Amino acid sequence: MQNGKILDIAHISFLDMIKVMIDTIGTAGARGTLIRNAIKAAECIETVEYASVEEFINAIEDGTNPISRIEGKAVHIGENVFGLPSCPFAPSIKNYTDMFSKLPDGYAELTEDSNKPNSIADKLRVAHGACVSPFCSVHQPMRSSFAEKIKIGGKQATIYMLGCKSGSGKKAIADKWIADTGISKDTVEKVLDSNMCCYYLKMQ
Amino acid sequence: MKKVLIVDDEEDMVWSLKRNLRNETLYIDIFTARSGEEALEILKKMSIDLVVTDIKMQGMSGLDLLLNIRQIRPQTGVIVMTAYPTPAFRKEALFRGCLHFIEKPFDIKQLRELVRHAITEDKGFKGTVTGIELTDIIQINCISKTTAALRVRTMNKEGVLYFKDGRIVNAIYENLEGEDAFYEILGFEGGTLESVKGAETPTVTIGKGYESLLMEGLRRLDEANRDRAETGDAAGMPAAGKTTDGKEKEDSLSDIGEIEEKNNGENSLKEENMFDVKQILKEFTTIDGVTAACIVGRDGFVIDSMAPAGVDTDMMAAIASTGLGSSEAMGKQLSKGNLNVSMIEYEGGSIFLSPVGQDAFLAIIAEEKANLGMIRFSTRKYRDKLSLATVI
Repeated sequence: MQNGKILDIAHISFLDMIKVMIDTIGTAGARGTLIRNAIKAAECIETVEYASVEEFINAIEDGTNPISRIEGKAVHIGENVFGLPSCPFAPSIKNYTDMFSKLPDGYAELTEDSNKPNSIADKLRVAHGACVSPFCSVHQPMRSSFAEKIKIGGKQATIYMLGCKSGSGKKAIADKWIADTGISKDTVEKVLDSNMCCYYLKMQ
Repeated sequence: MKKVLIVDDEEDMVWSLKRNLRNETLYIDIFTARSGEEALEILKKMSIDLVVTDIKMQGMSGLDLLLNIRQIRPQTGVIVMTAYPTPAFRKEALFRGCLHFIEKPFDIKQLRELVRHAITEDKGFKGTVTGIELTDIIQINCISKTTAALRVRTMNKEGVLYFKDGRIVNAIYENLEGEDAFYEILGFEGGTLESVKGAETPTVTIGKGYESLLMEGLRRLDEANRDRAETGDAAGMPAAGKTTDGKEKEDSLSDIGEIEEKNNGENSLKEENMFDVKQILKEFTTIDGVTAACIVGRDGFVIDSMAPAGVDTDMMAAIASTGLGSSEAMGKQLSKGNLNVSMIEYEGGSIFLSPVGQDAFLAIIAEEKANLGMIRFSTRKYRDKLSLATVI
């Protein structure tokens, strides 16, 4: 560990709290709690309206959109497909592994559980193979839930999670949402070459 | 006119009964036999409604006669009388299908009432146990305050349960009597049932209420099934969900009624199952004291629910999922195996949480005086079907 470096105790506590939840209420219970947490956070924000998709994209790319406020600036690739260059949990992971060398036990099981078909993932159009860590269980539902507070040209914005990349470079693709959106797998793979996350915007 | 056959090797007894049993209020045809063999000959030639027989006789005993009657005239009622009422005789007579047991000397009025009761009462039923569980029949007998003997037969097992005014008062299986026999009989798989209404046992060996008995019986069955699932069993029984050659069973539906058109595609099965889930939850809410029944994903999101207005099922489900998860984690920590049911008791009632399959659990909210035995029983009864229906 770097001499004199102060670690973010909030980051470390959050990661350890996930481990505690896994141990005390099981992986599915822990996942559910993380997702509810994400949904609750979205309930607390104001509804935002954009006149056009272009306006939405601009807000995403300059970091003023509610979604980019929580995860950082994203890049519009084209055809409403977006790439997120940095994982918002990367600092937390680095903080933790700097101190403890590896992530807590049980994370692999929670990630596996997150990728299983489940009703809330269907409702929020997340997971289904696109999770690479327990943080995806918070991040993806939070983005989808935030999108429910966004209207574009009077229409409801919805987000489809297409793929994610782990810190080690392993790509995870949501075949179900790729099929539903009609975006090709090749496109998603290419987006993930230079981004950590890939999602699709649809107006209802 | 009902036919009654009196069997006794004491001539005076036969004469006395023939002369005094029938009176102006009991119109019956009376036949007599001086031995078991003679009685059998009569029974082979004609249908007799009721046999009143002594136990100790020259040649064929009353107990052997009982066995023969069960084979050739199973619907014929039998009253056994004896001057030697040893517990062994009683037990054997009851086990062999005796309707009533009366000790000599007896008041003729007493016997007359027994005979009247036996020939005028509905004789019960006989049938194969399909589409309904033994526990269902037991509960029906108890709820309807029945007095009857329920004979349960499988290929190689036979036991008798006695009900008195809706209470389970005796059970006999092989050398066992009382609660132990009850639990053994409850574990019979399939077979036939014969119910003889009005049959009474003079030996009361069980004092517990039927709900406690069923709960304990089902707990023992769960344990036995779990052991079997974990190990297979020495007699070559396959593990749960497997056939004897280790393949997955194609059909693991519970016996509350087959789902038809199982092969019509995943969607139709799922739709039908979701309908069943609603029906099953509705059934739970008809149990005394149950206010809400929910199927919840293990992540705490509601799959389906039956709850009155004002119950926040979303919040309840979220909290319940952590309760269930905690209970399972506790069992895991203490090496107690899989969770069957977690019951939380409050001043104002109870909450039941029970896993159904890998992905969901059942949550039942009950009032203080709810029928907990019935909740537990129904949980076990519908677990397999709910499990199938909640596979996402």
